[in-house]
Parts: sequence; C-alpha cells; structure tokens
Amino acid sequence: MGGLVVADHLSKWYGQVIGLNDVSVTVPPGITGLLGPNGAGKSTFMKLITGQLKPSKGNIAVLGEPIWQNPGLYNRIGFCPEQDAFYERMTGREWVTALVRLNGVTETDAAAMATRAIEDVELTEAADKKIGAYSKGMRQRIKMAQALAHNPELLILDEPLSGMDPIARRKAIRMIKDWGRAGKSVIVSSHILHEIESMTANILLINQGRILAEGNVHQIRDLIDEHPHTVHIKADQTRALAREFLGHDDVLSLKFEEGAVVVQTGRPDAFYARLTDLAASGTHGAIHEVTSPDDNLQAVFQYLVKA
Amino acid sequence: MSDAPRIPQAAPQPPNVLASAVRVFDLSLGQMLWSRRSVFLGVLLGGPVLLAAVLRVVDTLHASGFRVNGAAVGGSTIFGMMIWLLFIRFIVPVLGVFYGTSLIADEVEDKTITYLFTRPIPRRAVLLGKYFAYLVCTVLLVLPSVMLVFFLIVPTGGGSIGAAFPSLLADLGMLVVGLAAYGAVFALVGTRLKRPLVVGLVFAFGWEPAVLLFPGYLKRLTVAYYMQALVTHEMPQDSSMSMLLQIFHEVPSVAVSLLALAAIVGVTLWFAGRAVEQREYVLEQ
Repeated sequence: MGGLVVADHLSKWYGQVIGLNDVSVTVPPGITGLLGPNGAGKSTFMKLITGQLKPSKGNIAVLGEPIWQNPGLYNRIGFCPEQDAFYERMTGREWVTALVRLNGVTETDAAAMATRAIEDVELTEAADKKIGAYSKGMRQRIKMAQALAHNPELLILDEPLSGMDPIARRKAIRMIKDWGRAGKSVIVSSHILHEIESMTANILLINQGRILAEGNVHQIRDLIDEHPHTVHIKADQTRALAREFLGHDDVLSLKFEEGAVVVQTGRPDAFYARLTDLAASGTHGAIHEVTSPDDNLQAVFQYLVKA
Repeated sequence: MSDAPRIPQAAPQPPNVLASAVRVFDLSLGQMLWSRRSVFLGVLLGGPVLLAAVLRVVDTLHASGFRVNGAAVGGSTIFGMMIWLLFIRFIVPVLGVFYGTSLIADEVEDKTITYLFTRPIPRRAVLLGKYFAYLVCTVLLVLPSVMLVFFLIVPTGGGSIGAAFPSLLADLGMLVVGLAAYGAVFALVGTRLKRPLVVGLVFAFGWEPAVLLFPGYLKRLTVAYYMQALVTHEMPQDSSMSMLLQIFHEVPSVAVSLLALAAIVGVTLWFAGRAVEQREYVLEQ
C-alpha cells in the first residue's frame, strides 16, 4: 500500500446518517487540501484518519498502518483539530509542554520542544499568557504548535485558518508551506478554495460524503471564479474599508453587519491580496477577523454533482 | 525549522499504560482541583466543619456535654456518628458520583478529549490518569474536613484527642478506600451508560441503602456493604432505617472487605478502560 493515507471503500455512518460513503482514495506525500462545504464529510474523514472514529465499513491506513486503536502511530502524526477548545487556565507554553509530555519525552525535552514549536508559530511573546486571554488567531496558532511540537511526519490540520485575521492567515499559510518544503506531509481541510490554493495545488474535493475530484486545483478554481465569493470582515473602520473596496471593479456588492462589512467579490484572489496589504498597512484601522461562509462552494458543488 | 530536541519518529516500544497515566495525572490534577465542581464540593465539605464548630460552641457555652436518647455521649461518639451519617453515607458517594461519572465526560463536553486521544498513549491511560487525579483531588478535599471535624468535636464532653487519634487514622484510611471504590464504580458508570449522573445517584442513594436493609446476597453487590467493616465507630441508630440496618447487620471481616473493595476497583476500572478504548466519541460541532 503506497501513499500517506490510503482509504479503501471507506464508509462511516452515524445511525441513519451517512458521514462518508464508500470512499477509496490515496493521499500522496506533500501538502494536500481537503476541500468541501460544512457537512460534506470533511470532519468525518479527518476523524477517521486521526483514529478518533472507527470505520463502519472499509479500511483506512495512515503511514502504512491502521490508525484505529493504534496509539503508537501518534508519534508520527500531529493533529490540529477544528474545535476552539483548550484548558483555558493554562498558559500556551504550559499547555503545549503538557501535551508533548504525553509523547513520552522528559519534562526538559518537552519544554524545549514546546518553546521551539511556539517560536515556529511566532507566538513566543504570548507563550506565558493564559490561553483564555488569546485572540482567535493566537488560539489557532497555539493549536498548531501542539500539533507540530513532537516533529511528526504527517500534520493533519482541520480548518486551521478559520477566524484568523489577514496577517495571521498569511503567516499561517507561509508556515504550512514551509513545513511542506521541510519534508513534512500536510493534510489541511478548508471550505475556502482560495486558502487551499495558496498552500497547494493538490486537492481532494469532498461533498455529501463522497470524494468528487482529486488532483490539481486549477480546473476547480475556474469554476469557483464563475461564482461570486462572499467575505465577512470584522474591522474597526468598516465604512472606510467599504469606501476602499468600492473603488475596485471585482467587488460586486457589499453590506454592513454589526462591526463587520460583508463583501461579494468576483475575483477572490485579487481581493484577498488587497485585503492582506490593507491589514498590514493599517491604513483603515485594524482588521480583526476574516471569514468566508461555505455557501461560496455550495453552488460549485451543485454544479459538479450535476455535471 | 528544527534544531530543537526531537524524539524518534517511530515509537520503538508500545506505550506504557502506567507511565502514560502518570502524565495524564500531571495534566489533569490542576484542572480538577480548580474546577467549579471542586469549589462547589469544597463548600459542601465545609458543612460538617460548620456543624462541628456550632456543636463545639454549644458545648463550650453549656459545658454539660451532649445527650442522645437521654444518654450522655462523648465527643468521640459524636465524631463517629458524623463519620457514619455525613461522610460514609453521603459525602463519599456524592464525591464518587460527581467526579467519577465525569472523568471522561468533562473532556468530551469541553471538546478537549481530542488532544488526549491523538497522543501516543493508550486511551485507558487517559481514564487511569484522570482517576488518579480524582482520587488525589477528593482526598485533598475530604481529609482536611474530617480532621477539622475531629479536632473540633472529639474534645467535647471530656473526650481526649490523644486517645481517639488512632481511630482518626483508621477513618482517614477508610475514607480513602471508599473514595477509591466509589470513584472506580462511577467511572465505569460514566463510560458505559447514558445519563450516568442519574444512574450514579440512584445507585448510591437508592440501590445501596435499599438492599442493605434485606438479608441475602444482594447487599454484596454494593460498596457500602464492604465499607461497613472498615468503620471503627458503632453504627448510629438515628432512624427506623438504621434500626433495620442493625437488625440485618451482617458485616464481613476487614480482610474480606479490603479484598472485595480492591477487586471492585480493579474490575470496574478495567471495564471502564475497555469501554474508553472501544468507544467512539463524536464531539458536537
């Protein structure tokens, strides 16, 4: 069996509900993006490849071994889950150190590994603050730190960029690409093609519990571009941002919500690039959070399913 | 990216359950000690201390000692009654139910279980480490309360702390054993059953007192039956239920009780660990 992850007629159902339906796929080494809207089966697939769930039918092998009830394999895997859950009273450093200790290393080594991982995610200054006081972006990065601290061969990141501000997002994307270049394999899930595309050209497209497509991202990308893309931006000066956006022809419409401006764009690439530059310059105040609802993809998936 | 200490990428040995459990214990104890549950139960454990303080004040003001059913009783007897009525029949089972049923459930509810289950440790080590943390946490809550009650109550009515001290040590040991046994039983309930808190409360305050009232073998399916043998104080006759208990009072030997309780702890923890190993935990998104 070759490949990083090999799924063979893999199915998972929860009572009457099908989470994943007869999936056979081989994930190659390198960075692979798992793309699909919420409820598509991404989380189920992630939970199966991290051994949190047992397949209802079929087999799954990770790094050549079955993962269910095989705890030794977690020495080779780092997992950053989607949920925003922590031991809030601990500092980031304490938390990462405590989790790395579960890998069987000494306290001293665990502390050194945690320090290095926290440096890697550029969170050194906040390492000794309580996690409860972290921003969303910092919380995402400390989750990544615990996943990579023990130097795994395979990193599995479930929606790692969710809720990050543009600067943090750009840093996180750069980090993930660096890990790929350093020889690690990464499986990263998202419901935003633009995010995945900025990390890798290799994607698995998943919807309604099935893998719809696998391989190069560019064909899918053309489809995405035909559909307007919605971006929700929380910022200090939403009106100033809106004025700036309206000066560009890729912005199709915008509206205001509480503390946020919601933009529809026809060219997400150009829009995100401009947004990141705006956030970095601070010209229009701080941009706190950028999110994109999964209905961006829904239209494309409906098109693919029909096709 | 990487001149930090690195561990071997392939685990050379299967993960050791006990060593892993110790690490989970390290991670869990602080969380458990400062949880809202511990603060609440810590306040609950202040109740007996408050009661003992009130009795001590009454004794100091009236200096005539206490009488139960017309007979004068010393401080040691009152302390024994409090051990029976408050600690053995109420506080120890309550602590066992509230902590034991939530050992894994808390992590599932907080969605932090993923971090423990995606590390190279057997899942049963997570349960075991959290069980050890429960034991230390509850011992740290109960023992100071018992000791304060002892020092407040025993001197009343002319009682001697020195003479009663050996029985305090026996009581402390007995309470630790009780916490261990109830915690293990309710850990199993928590990992196996839906609505474990309700089931636990029914077991502790329905099933156990009920079957102890009747002769026969059913009472051997309780923790309380074996605990009775370890109590050095006489069972109080505070109610008609206690009278019935006295009538059918059948107490196993200390050795049999200790062996049975050790077996209860071992067997229930083994099955609880097995349940955790086999169960899929689907976290709500």
